[in-house]
Amino acid sequence: MIRIIILFCFIITLASSRVFAQPENIEVFPSAPYDRYIIYEMLALFRVGIIGLIVIIRMKLKEIERIQFMGLDTAEKEIPLLD
Amino acid sequence: MRRKASWLRWFEERYDIDEIKNLAKSKLVPSHKYECWYFTGGIVLFLFVTQFISGMVLALYYVPHGDFAHKSIIDIVTKINAGWFFRSLHHWNAQLAIVVAFIHLFSALLLKSYRKPRELLWVSGFILIGTSIFFGLSGYFLLWDERAFAAVRVATGGAGNLPLVGSFIKAFLRGGIDVTGETLTRFYAFHVSILPLVTLFLIVMHLFLVQYHGMSVPLSLKHKTRGDIPFFPNLFYKDLIIWLVAFGMVVTLATFLPPEIGKKADLLAPAPENIKPEWYFLFLFQTLKLFPGTILGLNGETIAIVLVSLAIVFFFLIPFFDRKSARQEMSRLFTWIGTIYLAYFVVMTIIGFFS
Repeated sequence: MIRIIILFCFIITLASSRVFAQPENIEVFPSAPYDRYIIYEMLALFRVGIIGLIVIIRMKLKEIERIQFMGLDTAEKEIPLLD
Repeated sequence: MRRKASWLRWFEERYDIDEIKNLAKSKLVPSHKYECWYFTGGIVLFLFVTQFISGMVLALYYVPHGDFAHKSIIDIVTKINAGWFFRSLHHWNAQLAIVVAFIHLFSALLLKSYRKPRELLWVSGFILIGTSIFFGLSGYFLLWDERAFAAVRVATGGAGNLPLVGSFIKAFLRGGIDVTGETLTRFYAFHVSILPLVTLFLIVMHLFLVQYHGMSVPLSLKHKTRGDIPFFPNLFYKDLIIWLVAFGMVVTLATFLPPEIGKKADLLAPAPENIKPEWYFLFLFQTLKLFPGTILGLNGETIAIVLVSLAIVFFFLIPFFDRKSARQEMSRLFTWIGTIYLAYFVVMTIIGFFS
């Protein structure tokens, strides 16, 4: 009987060790709530920065196109200069 | 009057800055209803630069050895400050670069941008796509997990099915008979030194040819353009906006969807079930599934690999076959061929993804 119990315990131990020995999923993203909060906050700031830059470049481009449309970007040839 | 900065004066004393400025201003780009496709090339270039930078950061910590490679990646992700972010950025940047490179390729194909005299532009771009895919495969293997291991075994085994040169290519890629630690060393060398040099050379050549020939205008719009617009600053600012959007997208994906790390590769273990290659190989994987084991006594996989290789070689040589486009005439046949290629690639990739 004792042999059977020992064998049973051995099998259970072996089986459970096989189960628990499965490598855990490797954390590919910080798991601490504080770290996550900081990351999402940084991402939000980054997105705001990106959108801000896009708006500034778009405004600058519109201004350039307006100047080009009016023909103010090209220097007049043979323009009299004041020395 | 405002004084010029000392560093600017230092430069102006040595280099003709005005001439460089005039050169930049003199570059004109045709404006028409398909001009949006011009930006795909710029996005690929930007993503390549970002990829090089994130790759350099990762290379500082990666250990290219069978015993330590997997652990070094776990260390990068779990112990190094922002290591998880750079790895994730490198992964998503690569995915997006290949997607946009394919879009660029198919847009060039359907708009016939390859036609005379731009054949070499097509050739350099096509080889660049090939190197990008090999970059992807070699980078995937550096992870040294069981999925990457099985994927490389299948990919190199597939290349080995090519008649005559197959066994040489397989042995050359694997660095031996089977996929081992030798293969990891070899793929690392490809990934961090050989492929970057080849890519850099091809990018320089591609950009030079774009400058030399100018942008291609589709035949259907030859006399319907809205005139030319200066590349600098108009197109450059538009490029900047698109690059910022692309960068924002990659960073967001990298934060929300960091790629998983599988179990360490075991050289003796069988391949895991339901294994699938990276998405850009799915059309090939799905095509191979269509073929039976033997056809008329010949190996079905070999026949499939030969047929796919022939189709890719035909695709590569399209500029030299499409004589009508070379004569600046509309070529509906090659529009259909391009559409069939695109539809096959997309449909097979989707089927492969969901099967």
